[in-house]
Amino acid sequence: MIGEYFSGLAHDIEGKLAAEPGAASARKIFALEVARLGVRLYSPGRPVAWCGVLAPFDLLNAVGVTSCFAEFVGAMLAGMGAASAPLEGAEQAGYAADTCAYHRAVVGAAMQGMMPVPDFLVATTTPCTGGLAAIENLARLFRRDLLVLQIPRAETEAGVRFLAGQLERLARFAAGRAGAQLDPQCVAAAVDLSNVTRALMVEIYDLARRVPSPVSNRDLANFGIVVPLLMGTQAGVDVARATRDELAARARDGKSGVPGERFRLLWVQNRIQFPNPLLRLLEDEYRAVIVVDELNDVTWEPIDPADPFPGMARRAIGLPLNGPAERRVARLRQLATEYRVDGIIQPCHWGCRQGTGIRGLVQRGFQELGIPVLNLEVDCIDARSFSEGQLRTRLEAFLELIAGRPRVRA
Amino acid sequence: MRFLGIDVGSLSCDAALLDERGELLAATVVPTGARNREAIARAKDEVLRAAGVSAEDVTAVVSTGYGRDRVEGRRAAVTEITCHARGIQALLPGTRLLVDIGGQDSKAVRFDAQGGVADFAMNDKCAAGTGRFLEAMARALEVDVSALGELDRDGSDGATLSSMCTVFAESEVVSLIADGVAVGAIVRGLHRAIASRTLAMIKRIVPDPSGLPVAMSGGVAHNAGVVRALSAALGCEVRVPPRPDIVGAFGAALIARERFG
Repeated sequence: MIGEYFSGLAHDIEGKLAAEPGAASARKIFALEVARLGVRLYSPGRPVAWCGVLAPFDLLNAVGVTSCFAEFVGAMLAGMGAASAPLEGAEQAGYAADTCAYHRAVVGAAMQGMMPVPDFLVATTTPCTGGLAAIENLARLFRRDLLVLQIPRAETEAGVRFLAGQLERLARFAAGRAGAQLDPQCVAAAVDLSNVTRALMVEIYDLARRVPSPVSNRDLANFGIVVPLLMGTQAGVDVARATRDELAARARDGKSGVPGERFRLLWVQNRIQFPNPLLRLLEDEYRAVIVVDELNDVTWEPIDPADPFPGMARRAIGLPLNGPAERRVARLRQLATEYRVDGIIQPCHWGCRQGTGIRGLVQRGFQELGIPVLNLEVDCIDARSFSEGQLRTRLEAFLELIAGRPRVRA
Repeated sequence: MRFLGIDVGSLSCDAALLDERGELLAATVVPTGARNREAIARAKDEVLRAAGVSAEDVTAVVSTGYGRDRVEGRRAAVTEITCHARGIQALLPGTRLLVDIGGQDSKAVRFDAQGGVADFAMNDKCAAGTGRFLEAMARALEVDVSALGELDRDGSDGATLSSMCTVFAESEVVSLIADGVAVGAIVRGLHRAIASRTLAMIKRIVPDPSGLPVAMSGGVAHNAGVVRALSAALGCEVRVPPRPDIVGAFGAALIARERFG
């Protein structure tokens, strides 16, 4: 079902772009490349790896392995409105209904034959142990080799060396599974492309910071979490360049993503993945724009193509979701200040110990800056728990609160 | 000029009509039932009739509550947080913390020194501790929900209830009755449990509420037992306006007057 969905989506977009090449929006190009990735994942004969979110996708792309983080499947199913059956399947098999629905959906999908059998799996010990457990479950279900990347919590030289060594071993292992020797030149070429994509992402986020912002609530939804899957490929560069060009043109023409921008918001962690009217409500009725998502961020330096593993290690270790909450809160405060936001929306995804566990610290961090925070109790994947009226009231009340108070934008 | 506020809640539909000076001319509370459009029409008719005012004389209507988008002819729809806040500041000026417990949700609103909304919190995920919860418990106790406040006075040693899930709490209440626990003690236990849950919600926005001027609105504020339990939990007096169930509609009418008068 999912493979057919990706094939159909890619076919539709390719047809539209062929018929009208000038109408290629950046978001459409993004959707096309995601669909093509999906097609590759579901096509037989190609080496495939299911991974944790901090796996080095550019490295895996460089050695010819199509790879994807498992949560992507949960998000896709939710976006298609098809997550209920795998969620119920996982629950019937004994997975507690109050665990993360990203992971429940992907385990249920695997049990119901909705995921391709991978050649191997790569788990990461951060950012969440739920993700690690989900990949371990998949490895057992598929009876395939599992590699676990032990990611240190702090960026020390010893920690970087430790992870860099694991990454090099992963590269040799993955290349072997793809039927080749590890070729440093291929890795260097992929790293070059990654660095170009990274630089474009920096430009994109700089543009989003402008007042008014050229981004709408959909332009960069899931951007920073999905683009890493295309890192190390020309497709990644193309998506980032198209996005940069579109936002730059809007900024040059003085157009804002949400006409008459009134409120600027920061969205913490993941978006709600199933179709819902809340983003439209924000834009149409309140002219409120999510100018920054926590996950739309570049927190790593360019990687040395001649010596890629330490740079890749630093990229994973330095992610603010890894390590102590203090570091994450500090980065969130920095984003709120840089983007000059009026308020924070913190969807406390049910079952996410990583997210809800520190919500009080996040809230206090913003309150010290005088920026109001809305904690939304919501499951970002499981639409069965969605109560539109309740969320709508909370969102609207929050925007009324912001409207009634003096601006504290930095 | 006349200004109408309509609060369409899950249990009741409330209307308040003001004159051009902001004085309350009439107010009413009707059950929402299954068809909220009928309840809206009835509340509107009742309040206009009581004030001797025709619909044409109403300058503006502002709606609030979960059914706020169902009110035809409204000039604006405003959330119940803002409306209750506006209403309580007019009725009990100087309030710094408002607790509103309605039919299916509860909320706490913190005010700044000027009476503006500084922060708010609402119940999460379920309706435990709200009007619906008390209705279910009254049914299990075979008493009228309006009698709970008075019954609470007889419960010198409140019973302990371990669950706030409406279904489990109902079973627990039935078990307590079977064990011979006095109805008054059970009711007091229920009220204490509601106060404890409400206090947890309050502390999300006011870590130390002691000493703050606190007010309560919503239909549950008619229950003197809940008000007493909340006062005890907070360690301060909780003030209740004369008609706590129309505070949202009253606030909506005040907003109509301010914006469209």
